[in-house]
Amino acid sequence: MRSLGKVLIANRGEIAVRIARTCRVLGLPTVAVYSEADARARHVHECDEAFPIGPAEAAGSYLKIDAIVGAARSAGADAVHPGYGFLSQNGDFADAVAAAGLVFVGPPGAVHRRMGDKKGARRLMAASGVPVVPGYDGDDQNDGVLLAEAERIGWPVMIKPSRGGGGKGMRVVERRDDFVAALAACRREAASAFGDETMVLERRLERPRHVEVQVLADAEGQVVHLLERECSIQRRHQKVVEETPSPALTQQLRESLCAAGVAAARAAGYVNAGTVEFLLDASGRFHFLEMNTRLQVEHPVTEAVVGLDLVRLQLEVAAGRPLPVRQEDVSARGHALECRLYAEDPDRGDLPSPGRVLHYAAPEGPGVRFDSGIEMGSEVTVHYDPLLAKLIAWGADRKESVARMQQALRETVVLGVATNLARLQAIVAHEAFRAGSLHTAFLDDHFSSPAATPELADDALAGLALAVARSGSEPAGRATDPFESVGPWRLGA
Amino acid sequence: MRVRVGERVHDLLPRATSSGSEVVVDGRPVSLRVEELRPGTFVAQLGSRREIFHCVREGKEIHLFWQGVAYRLREEREGAQGPRRGGAFGLEAPMPGKVIAVRVVPGQEVALGQELLVIEAMKMENALRAPRAGRVKSVSAGLGEMVSPGSVLVELE
Repeated sequence: MRSLGKVLIANRGEIAVRIARTCRVLGLPTVAVYSEADARARHVHECDEAFPIGPAEAAGSYLKIDAIVGAARSAGADAVHPGYGFLSQNGDFADAVAAAGLVFVGPPGAVHRRMGDKKGARRLMAASGVPVVPGYDGDDQNDGVLLAEAERIGWPVMIKPSRGGGGKGMRVVERRDDFVAALAACRREAASAFGDETMVLERRLERPRHVEVQVLADAEGQVVHLLERECSIQRRHQKVVEETPSPALTQQLRESLCAAGVAAARAAGYVNAGTVEFLLDASGRFHFLEMNTRLQVEHPVTEAVVGLDLVRLQLEVAAGRPLPVRQEDVSARGHALECRLYAEDPDRGDLPSPGRVLHYAAPEGPGVRFDSGIEMGSEVTVHYDPLLAKLIAWGADRKESVARMQQALRETVVLGVATNLARLQAIVAHEAFRAGSLHTAFLDDHFSSPAATPELADDALAGLALAVARSGSEPAGRATDPFESVGPWRLGA
Repeated sequence: MRVRVGERVHDLLPRATSSGSEVVVDGRPVSLRVEELRPGTFVAQLGSRREIFHCVREGKEIHLFWQGVAYRLREEREGAQGPRRGGAFGLEAPMPGKVIAVRVVPGQEVALGQELLVIEAMKMENALRAPRAGRVKSVSAGLGEMVSPGSVLVELE
């Protein structure tokens, strides 16, 4: 065991801010890294020191192993926390950090590689008794073999690159005739994105729910789960709303799901915090999807119901300490919900919406948590993920957490960049959401067309007119007298 | 001022009243007070109702957050370009006084120089006449009402 000193946070945005907070609570100094685009970003001010690591493009900065390890050395850091995304699941990065004599806050490189290979992970899970989605994970990648396997699995079939993620190189094929062309397209995309064109095939489940198990393991081989999260509200494989407990699980199903999560972590030889993702089909059977070998974006809902700080536990496990929690200590209190606030323009097909944050106000109140990567004046650039902030609401039950979330969403002000705020409000107000009838096609089914911005009422327009007249934010050279804009002529003129 | 939000254009004419302030929104007066709490954050008082809202401006773009919804508006120049449709000229009171006659109603076509209303001030009757031909968009002044200089009384399309 070693005591951790300075922690370098190899990330940006809300997660870097969130990790820095726990480090401060623990008395650990923090080091930020930043690209040229992020020199004035919020995460840079929230750390004790900051090192530039390269240009705006992530490939030259947040994804550049040498630059980050170099910054950690220059700063005299003892540990590196990778956050999520970027290099967080990169085995070479974990190894490079360890080779530099630093503690990597996450599992070792071998575990990342083991679980990052979908083919191998599927086989490992199946061999360990964890149910996997019906599919093909064989070595023979011949077109004819894959087509025959697809026929056996049954249409529609998903083609997924064995190495990769984020929806790249992935296709759903509805019928036999389209298979070979889709396979070729997947291989091309995967080869350029991940440098590997091995594919796995999986049956496309009809309107499954996405449920996942938070696991935590220490170097001595103790593994506990911190219950499940449901993340069925997704768009283009991107989660939007998450919650725990899942409204879909009976206690019996929860126990078997969480036991499968622990079995998966053991089979993987897992250390630190990780998440085992499953799809739950309409008949109540769950199937292993993949394991995320890092802290998850939606971890705060777990923290809210189990009362633990996952980043703290990550740091403790990384320092070689045994897990301070036993399985029997873990229980959920109440219900928590998370909404992801994205800089996306609903009027432009949810395209990322860059810009400057001109006005900002965070929600407050009982059970409300706001993990934000922005502040007034922040620049939202096109270079990175459009996630601005996460709103988490806790309540004694789902009804209360939803009600608190609704109120918090009304108080969340981000002006200057378009956001999905109105969409989040509509989701949590939706009848099907309130009923807990969730599945991964929820947004496609209920929110396929963009919602019209409500008409502005007269009182709002009146408020605006006086606010503009009164505020000092008038552009230079403009009169501030509201009456001047009235018109050019007067009686008797 | 004239603002556009999506397809809709609104004309906003703030003016002082004897009891405070009001804004004529597309010809409909809304009486309210607005106080700035801190830069970009305001409270509107509409009768006994209070509403906190946020409003910032960047060039011609105005961002408004009202009752949980973010709106993006654009300020447009009144009468400068484009069709006059939907726009209006405001006819202001030249002096403090009392409206003693209203001779037109919204929708009415008026000719150049036609008398629109009469204001009594300093014991004199002052006729307010149309500076051009057009259609009356709104009449904000009521008979017997005290008006202050600069308040918009009649709008012409």
